[in-house]
Amino acid sequence: MRNPPTLALTFALAASAALAAPPAGTVRAPGKHAEDTCSACHLALDDARLSTPAKLTDNDIHHQQGVTCAGCHGGDPTSEDADVAMDAKKGFRGNFSHQAIPEMCGSCHSDAAFMLRYAPNIPTDQLAQYRTSKHGQALAKGDTDVAVCTSCHGAHGVLPVSDARSPVYPTRIVDTCGRCHADAALMTRYGIKGDEIAEYKQSVHYATLVKKNDLSAPTCKSCHGAHGATPPGISSVSNVCGTCHLTQRERFDLSPHKDAFAALQQPACESCHGNHAILHPEDTWIGVGDKQVCGGCHSAGDPGATAAAAMSAALAGATTAIDTAEARVDRVRKAGMLMDDADVKLEGAHQSVVLAQVQIHTVDPARVGEQTKAALSDTAAAGKMAADAEAEIRYRRTGLFISLVVIAVAMVALILKVRSIER
Amino acid sequence: MRVLESLWRALDERLDLAPLVNFATHKEVPQHRHSWAYYFGGLTLFFFFVQVATGILLLLYYRPTAEAAFESVQFIVTRVPFGWLIRSIHSWSANLMVLAAFAHMFSVYMLGSYAKPRELTWWSGFALLLLAMGFGFSGYLLPWNELAFFATRVGTDMVSKVPLVGGWLLKYLRGGEEVTGATLTRFFGFHVAVLPMITTALLAAHLAFIQRQGMHIPEGLEEEARQRKAIRFVPNFMMREGVVWLAGLAALAALAAFFPWELGAKADPFASAPAGIRPEWYFLFMFEALKLLPSHVLGIEGELVGLGVFALAGLVWFLVPVLDRGSRVGHRSRAFFVLGWLALAYILSFTLASLAGVFK
Repeated sequence: MRNPPTLALTFALAASAALAAPPAGTVRAPGKHAEDTCSACHLALDDARLSTPAKLTDNDIHHQQGVTCAGCHGGDPTSEDADVAMDAKKGFRGNFSHQAIPEMCGSCHSDAAFMLRYAPNIPTDQLAQYRTSKHGQALAKGDTDVAVCTSCHGAHGVLPVSDARSPVYPTRIVDTCGRCHADAALMTRYGIKGDEIAEYKQSVHYATLVKKNDLSAPTCKSCHGAHGATPPGISSVSNVCGTCHLTQRERFDLSPHKDAFAALQQPACESCHGNHAILHPEDTWIGVGDKQVCGGCHSAGDPGATAAAAMSAALAGATTAIDTAEARVDRVRKAGMLMDDADVKLEGAHQSVVLAQVQIHTVDPARVGEQTKAALSDTAAAGKMAADAEAEIRYRRTGLFISLVVIAVAMVALILKVRSIER
Repeated sequence: MRVLESLWRALDERLDLAPLVNFATHKEVPQHRHSWAYYFGGLTLFFFFVQVATGILLLLYYRPTAEAAFESVQFIVTRVPFGWLIRSIHSWSANLMVLAAFAHMFSVYMLGSYAKPRELTWWSGFALLLLAMGFGFSGYLLPWNELAFFATRVGTDMVSKVPLVGGWLLKYLRGGEEVTGATLTRFFGFHVAVLPMITTALLAAHLAFIQRQGMHIPEGLEEEARQRKAIRFVPNFMMREGVVWLAGLAALAALAAFFPWELGAKADPFASAPAGIRPEWYFLFMFEALKLLPSHVLGIEGELVGLGVFALAGLVWFLVPVLDRGSRVGHRSRAFFVLGWLALAYILSFTLASLAGVFK
């Protein structure tokens, strides 16, 4: 797009008609209110294919920044004569081929000096990244079914990524990727199953994104990259997961699994947690039985299975103790006792269990045991508080009973006295 | 005994107490089929005494600031010996006092005891009920918990609807634009200083009126009261009232032991309002009715219309000794009798329906 005629030249030509001679060598995008006959004519056309792009320009970030139709398509937007306005001699390019789109967008978006004027914080390496991506590589080989810039961002009516209506906004990007990646027939051609989107939608990540509206939850691009989209390799899976799950990754690196998985060429996190359908992990996964994750490599009786059983038992013991203590504290609370101190202890116990669950990545029962012991200690303290509160309730009720007896005796005595004096 | 007699003689000699003792020993309470109604006033008085006693004890530990109020109540109910009992009794007794006051007021109304010459007694009693509700409203905020905070916000917001002075009233009550620590401090001031002072004075007047005028015998029961032997106030009626007070005490003890008053979560002015905000039960009949009103009635804001109607109804209720002209000559109007039942039915039905969750 930039050579020849360059976008700078296109802008300069368009602007020169509306404005008096721009300083030489500067890129000038026609202002939003500059004379622009493209939209005026196209809006009036009956053919929706030609009028729709004009209708979308109002919300388009480029249009809002002053880049009009001619910014991409060339031509002379100041002329009311269609033949002149869309004259190839005036740089009119008309439609772009699928393959030309990345270079056309990149003609501005890769130019740091140019982008600085409009969006100083926006990266300018998208095109370079795209070329390294599976999409870019396939496009370079002539495959026009792969995604280009407009496939994800749209061609006209392009919204900023921060706009919740944008197809690449965190809550919408999954479905945007899914437009192709959920098409099993299309994906088969690339050796991809096509069920990744459906699987991701079962994951704890997707639930966090859409139910909690937590925009930091990972989407497709968080692991695969946005413009340089490519699947993470076996050795890089733990790096990808570790960008958010730092502690788990550190613990995993301390474990004998790190070298073992590398030797077996098995991905680190994915081996136990899966990749797209990452569910909320359960303590019951630990072990070599059915629906447990260690059985793939370990079998009953081996040291790994023994360690797994020890860790599982420690976690189950702590969790059961917490449940029991919570039920007891709740019962006492319902009887009207303030149990804030016990709640603090139970919260501490929960925290210790979470830390124990993190320590599982070391596969060291001793490290897990340290945390479960702390959980049991806090749980015991909460249980003691509940027991004290139960004793206090009994004490109060006994006191009430005694006082009621005293009151009743006093009432009877008064009634008898009244009767005797009124007889 | 000789010491007591000497003490009595010394006091009588100086203060001329014999006429008072003479009055008390000769005071009689008439007996008829509705004599039970005479006990409600005394029961209200008992709960008031409990409030004063427990309130003073709570004052020893309570701290009236937004930062410390919740924690101080938490300290009272968890660390102070029998603090839980005192706080629980204070809360329960407050509610039972308002309940007893309502029962007292409606029994007085239904039996026509407001009639001349007891107008002043009725008016002072009406004012005492409003003061009791003021005690309840101001005391509700003091633990500075979530529910009280938002209920106070809604409650104080209503005064802003008052024409002309609404905005000023709102700022006066809240100590600013919003419910803050300043509101808590002034509600505390109202609760422990202003309201008790006015209440004590009015209560003294109310009791003095009753002693001066004697018990009212309802219309149509004069003959029955004449035929039945009146009971002496000292000691017979006092002993009977004592039985009622003991029953009240037993109820308080049982409620405090089995249903300790909840503290809830500390108020967070920046949090969103929790679901189910509602005021104390004795404001529910007004609260629910105001919520049912459309946003505008005849072009006027619905809440303003509602508050206007309640103000007018309150005024009619207050002025009933004057408006019910027949009552002055011993023949109370049937219309006011029916009005009393209608008011009772409305208050009871709306309060119970609200408590049962009908308006959710």
